Amino acid sequence: MIIDQKKIDEAIETVIGYGGEHIRNCVQCGACSAVCPGVKAGFPLLCRSLIRQLLNGQLEEIIEDSSSWACQSCSRCTEICPRGVRPQEVVFAFRRYQANQLAFSTSSITSQMNLFQTGHAVFVDPKEARKKVGLPEEPPTSAYDEAAQKEIQTLINNSPMGELGLF
Amino acid sequence: MAKVGVYVCHCGTNIAGVIDVEAVRDYASGLPDVVIARKDLFMCSDSGQEMIKKDIKDGLVDRVVVAACTPRTHEPIFRAACEKAGLNKYLFEMANIRDQNSWVHGHDHAGATAKALKIVASAVGKARNLEPLEEKFVPVTDAALVIGGGIGGISAALELARMGHKTYLVEKEPSIGGVMAQLDKTFPTNDCSACILTPKMVEVYNHPNIVALTYSEVDDVSGYIGNFNVKVRRKQAYVDWVKCTGCGDCASKCPAKVPDRFNAGLSERRAAYIMFPQAVPKKAVIDIDNCLNCAGREIGTEPKVNAKTGKPILAPCEKACPAQAIDRSIAHDPQGEIVEIQVGSIVVATGFQVMEKDWFKEMAPASPNVITALQLERIISATGPSEGKLTRPSDHEKPHVISFLSCMGSRDEHFHSYCSRVCCMYMIKQARLLKEKYPDLVINMHFIDVRSAGKGYDEYYTGARAMGINIFKGKVGGLEMLPGDKLRVLAYDMEGATPIEYESDLVVLATAIELPGDAVSLAQKLGLQFCGSNFFRELHPKLGPVETAVEGLFLAGCCQGPKDIPDTVSQAKGAAAAAAVPLSQGQVKIEPIISEVHPEQCSGCGICAPLCPYHAISLDDYGGHPRAKIEMSACKGCGVCASACPSAAIVLHGYEDTQIFAQIEALTA
Repeated sequence: MIIDQKKIDEAIETVIGYGGEHIRNCVQCGACSAVCPGVKAGFPLLCRSLIRQLLNGQLEEIIEDSSSWACQSCSRCTEICPRGVRPQEVVFAFRRYQANQLAFSTSSITSQMNLFQTGHAVFVDPKEARKKVGLPEEPPTSAYDEAAQKEIQTLINNSPMGELGLF
Repeated sequence: MAKVGVYVCHCGTNIAGVIDVEAVRDYASGLPDVVIARKDLFMCSDSGQEMIKKDIKDGLVDRVVVAACTPRTHEPIFRAACEKAGLNKYLFEMANIRDQNSWVHGHDHAGATAKALKIVASAVGKARNLEPLEEKFVPVTDAALVIGGGIGGISAALELARMGHKTYLVEKEPSIGGVMAQLDKTFPTNDCSACILTPKMVEVYNHPNIVALTYSEVDDVSGYIGNFNVKVRRKQAYVDWVKCTGCGDCASKCPAKVPDRFNAGLSERRAAYIMFPQAVPKKAVIDIDNCLNCAGREIGTEPKVNAKTGKPILAPCEKACPAQAIDRSIAHDPQGEIVEIQVGSIVVATGFQVMEKDWFKEMAPASPNVITALQLERIISATGPSEGKLTRPSDHEKPHVISFLSCMGSRDEHFHSYCSRVCCMYMIKQARLLKEKYPDLVINMHFIDVRSAGKGYDEYYTGARAMGINIFKGKVGGLEMLPGDKLRVLAYDMEGATPIEYESDLVVLATAIELPGDAVSLAQKLGLQFCGSNFFRELHPKLGPVETAVEGLFLAGCCQGPKDIPDTVSQAKGAAAAAAVPLSQGQVKIEPIISEVHPEQCSGCGICAPLCPYHAISLDDYGGHPRAKIEMSACKGCGVCASACPSAAIVLHGYEDTQIFAQIEALTA
């Protein structure tokens, strides 16, 4: 790796622009990665190592990496971070950058389509299970409410997500 | 008519890099009463000072304004230059165009230059109205007070005593020794802490020039450099220390159990107790808050009488004492006794406390096998609860895997942003001592990074690696309690970029060093300030590391910031040398920048008296009327009285109304 200050500045400014504003506080102690379930599950570029790569200016080099989409937003990293980096926000900022560059993980496309269509990123048909326990088959959520779905679609179409041209 | 000379300093590029120095000089030369305006690369250099001296000697100027840095560091230099040239040094005025201008407006050159013109005009306005002032001298009490009997206080007291000054050493606990007395061995030489400390404790206690007041606290401080009046409260021990031989029989008979602070809460002591085996002085005290008043023997009551034998029924402690040092019939004053002492200077060496594990919720504080490093120190100490045998608290079994976690509360913005400076080294020390004694022990150490900057420290650290101690770069994120009193360590290996998980039997937290809570009330009594890290603030971080903003008051050891034993001893000896200065001089100067009452103008309303923070103002008879009077030696020149006086009868020399108004006029022109 060559140290290129221009690339470093660009990477950091990009992440700050997308909401990872405390990235420069990081002292690379690794406490975030010690508690991160994503890191434990084997995703290499989460928390500490993602921040390291970004501080090294490796924005484009890691754009296709799918680790960021494995973040479960549990926020344990932000809880434990002794420097106020709020690593989860850095991960999300990097995701936003990836999304804007249309560098999605395929795993994330389905959930976004689900969100657009039903209002739920993760949607499993509940009818049968509810019937078994004697509940009305359709829960009162947007998934069964066309008017609510319309509203959600309007919101998404008018958000930065809409500009991606996915839907 | 005053003849003002203005001297503008470039301060290298500190000022000239931002402010147009030539423009400031030009402008100053046109100000009223200014006869000369010059500039120099460094006004504080010899050539700069010579320039001022020559102009004074040549009779060109009789008021001097230097537009440069801060009076805090440089006013004494320029005042001395004026004095050398034969000008009263209070006819000097400083315009701060660096710290309060070029340093803070580096982005705005034009604005900074415009501000410099105002600052200089204001200083010239004041200088035109300055009056010569005379210094006075008062004799000094040749004695010193050292507050805190840890290794810092002991070192400072010994140094002062050896220089021939009478020294009072005040310690709040029953014994001197401080935290160093709790330690097992010391890095990087593995000296036994007690072996090197005890001789010092004995020496300080027996030194003919030292009066050691243990189990005592500073109650009140008044006065000023050269003549402080200090009230020391000798806490009530409920044991006659003249008779007590330190045999410990009272402690062995006392039934009341209390967590033992000396053993960091790992064991219990009795309500009647001797602090530790090597205590100096080795005297018992009764901790009355936890005393059970056995046999109904409340302090100050007569004993009940045994109906059969006719003998008095005594409490176990008094019955056990072979020296008759405990007599609960005496109505001891629970407040203890106030001892008043007079000293010329004071060294504060009140030390530190370590954070408790309960702060760290992620680190399973509920597990008895999660301990602080100070607790481990007691566990491995021969005088500790397990007499030096490594056992874990839950079941007193020997652990097989032990983990060390660094930076608990240090370098962490939730707690303290500073580095506690000693943890890396003492953890390595503890790990090395354990590995030497128990080669089979698996020792895992987790650091953000290892800080080993000290003589012989890095060799000590790399030696630990060679001994087979496992060292991981990466902060531990959490601990989980497991069955069998084990702990799961959630760690991370930075170099391998991989998470680590393993089971540990004993986890040691290197918790941060911080100022003890009671330091705040002491600071209020002494007028000490706090720094951003919440330790006592020294006068200057580099050049005044032992001095404080209060003249005659000096700092040593961890109360000024975290440091190890060598640094504490060095600073303590430095503080002792500084504290000895006024004592050896025999007299101290009283600054003439103090307030004075014009009694003919005073209405005797008395508003000023309670406002004075130094209790320097009283109402005195003047021509049959009560009038305010200011005790010159107690006044610090803060000016509160002068600004509050409704009759404008109080003048603060050096900041008189005419001078201040001239400044305001110049600033608002």
